Amino acid sequence: MFLAWNEMKNNKLRFMLIVGVLTLVSYLVFFLSGLANGLESLNKEAVLKWDADGIILTEESDVNLPQSSLKLDDYDGHGTDEYAVLGQMNAIATSGELKSNVSIFGIKNDEFIMPDVIEGEAFTDTGEVIADDSLKEEGFEIGDELELSATDETLIITGFTEDAKFNAAPVLYGSLETLEQLRMNSTVNGFVIRTDNLDDVPVSEKLQVIPTQTFIENMPGYSEQSLTLAFMIYFLFIISAVILAIFLYVLTIQKISIFGVMKAQGISSGYLAKSVVAQTFLLALAGVIIGLALTITTGFFLPAAVPVAFNALDLFIYGIVLVLVSVLGALFSVQTIVKIDPLKAIGG
Amino acid sequence: MALIQLKNVNKVFPTGKAEIQALKPTNFTGEAGELIAIIGPSGSGKSTFLTIAGGLQTPTNGEVIINGKDITELKEKQRAKIRLEEIGFVLQSSNLVPFLSVQQQMKLLDQVKKNNLSPEKREQVYLSLGIQELMTSFPSELSGGQRQRVAIAKALYTDPSIILADEPTASLDSERAFEVMEMLRKVTTDNKKTTIVVTHDTRLIDYCDKVYRITDGTLHQEMASLTS
Ligand SMILES: Nc1ncnc2c1ncn2[C@@H]1O[C@H](COP(=O)(O)OP(=O)(O)OP(=O)(O)O)[C@@H](O)[C@H]1O
Ligand SMILES: [Mg+2]
Repeated sequence: MFLAWNEMKNNKLRFMLIVGVLTLVSYLVFFLSGLANGLESLNKEAVLKWDADGIILTEESDVNLPQSSLKLDDYDGHGTDEYAVLGQMNAIATSGELKSNVSIFGIKNDEFIMPDVIEGEAFTDTGEVIADDSLKEEGFEIGDELELSATDETLIITGFTEDAKFNAAPVLYGSLETLEQLRMNSTVNGFVIRTDNLDDVPVSEKLQVIPTQTFIENMPGYSEQSLTLAFMIYFLFIISAVILAIFLYVLTIQKISIFGVMKAQGISSGYLAKSVVAQTFLLALAGVIIGLALTITTGFFLPAAVPVAFNALDLFIYGIVLVLVSVLGALFSVQTIVKIDPLKAIGG
Repeated sequence: MALIQLKNVNKVFPTGKAEIQALKPTNFTGEAGELIAIIGPSGSGKSTFLTIAGGLQTPTNGEVIINGKDITELKEKQRAKIRLEEIGFVLQSSNLVPFLSVQQQMKLLDQVKKNNLSPEKREQVYLSLGIQELMTSFPSELSGGQRQRVAIAKALYTDPSIILADEPTASLDSERAFEVMEMLRKVTTDNKKTTIVVTHDTRLIDYCDKVYRITDGTLHQEMASLTS
């Protein structure tokens, strides 16, 4: 540590450059992880809010909620602690100048998927809905009459709830009757269930029980999006390892004769190697911490519309991985140090 | 007591077709308290002799015995340990770490080895080398001669039983060169070390107990000391 620390102290610019590069890489990693998180919750927020273990859909729906068409009496709650009926349709809601993609949920207001109302009143009559509060941010208000695409019926907002996005669209919750009126039929799309053991839920042959996680992963575009972002993050890990490996390798090559002289004097390769690893560790740690600070600062200034949500655990894990991966990059130089022949270095 | 012994040591470098006999079979003993000079023309094998004696390279044949221990067959890791514990090198080129101040050069040695010189002895060494004012300077801020004096201080710092110096006075003016030799003379006698100095400067031979000359890889002892 003595050697590592003093070298950095006496070559500040050189090492600040390395920290700078690592800062940018970790900033990018943290930001992407926030973006991945944010985009994921846009898709699944409303589903997570159910706090359910699974959902019953038709076999032929291919785990796609709109494609699953059920009758109310297809399932009677056998084998589950609780269940809730769900009908769902997508639409475009317009109120004056305002226009938004929405996902309309038809539910029973005495069942567990009924959300908490944070402002206004719950729906009671047919045609009344409560809306995700992101619509409020867009300018929709309680009492607004919503015209819908694909139907002449209108809906009235009676209240707002929070964290209710499904497949990136804000959710409007209304009664089953409301949905029936919009769709002009009395089918529903699924039964949301709570149970300790999904395997024990007895359903008829044309139905299937889907765990919540599988349901989320099968949402259109969800897995593709998550995978893309995860891939970018993993790629950044490799990039940071390679960048650091190259930097350190160049520095090591420059110092071959110095290392050689120290080895001639009897300072062990192990000590010198440890010094390089310690140096890398400090550099990576500094880069990651500054990157984290930048990320958090940026988070404060981001407009709400940007779907970035930082998750402390993710940031922590990615930070650690970045440091580890950087240290891995240093091992490349360690090998070079071990191979240095002190005799060559001293000349004469 | 013999601190260092070379028994039938030779070194052959296979270069292309012809082999270079850098050191022909050589026997050598350095006793405690002896200051020994090695002289000889360029390319005669002086550095080869010194680096084999110091465990920096292994001989082609023969044995190198340091403080009673045969180091010939040791692995580099163990030889490094012997170098650290037993040998102080003053190299032909500067052996300072560029990003450490003079003081930190010494501290580095404290990091890797215990039982270095006591603070009083250190001060003595710094004083006689005239570097006590340079402790916070970096190598790039020192003159060639100052660097060489720091390098000598560094070699003495670990209190080795054997000091091997390759042209230690090459970049010093003659006054400093004599001072350095006087100091090597003193630590060698006072602390019962064996010091081997490779030099071109025959005036320095006066300080030595024995003088060896190498010509074409063959080591001969000269007539006792040249002056006495
Ligand atoms: N690694 C090596 N490979 C091949 N030949 C070598 C090697 N090292 C030394 N030699 C040869 O061995 C001979 C002795 O070299 P050495 O370095 O011991 O000379 P020297 O007496 O120290 O010379 P100088 O006074 O110039 O330092 C030279 O002919 C040199 O070319
Ligand atoms: Mg030489």
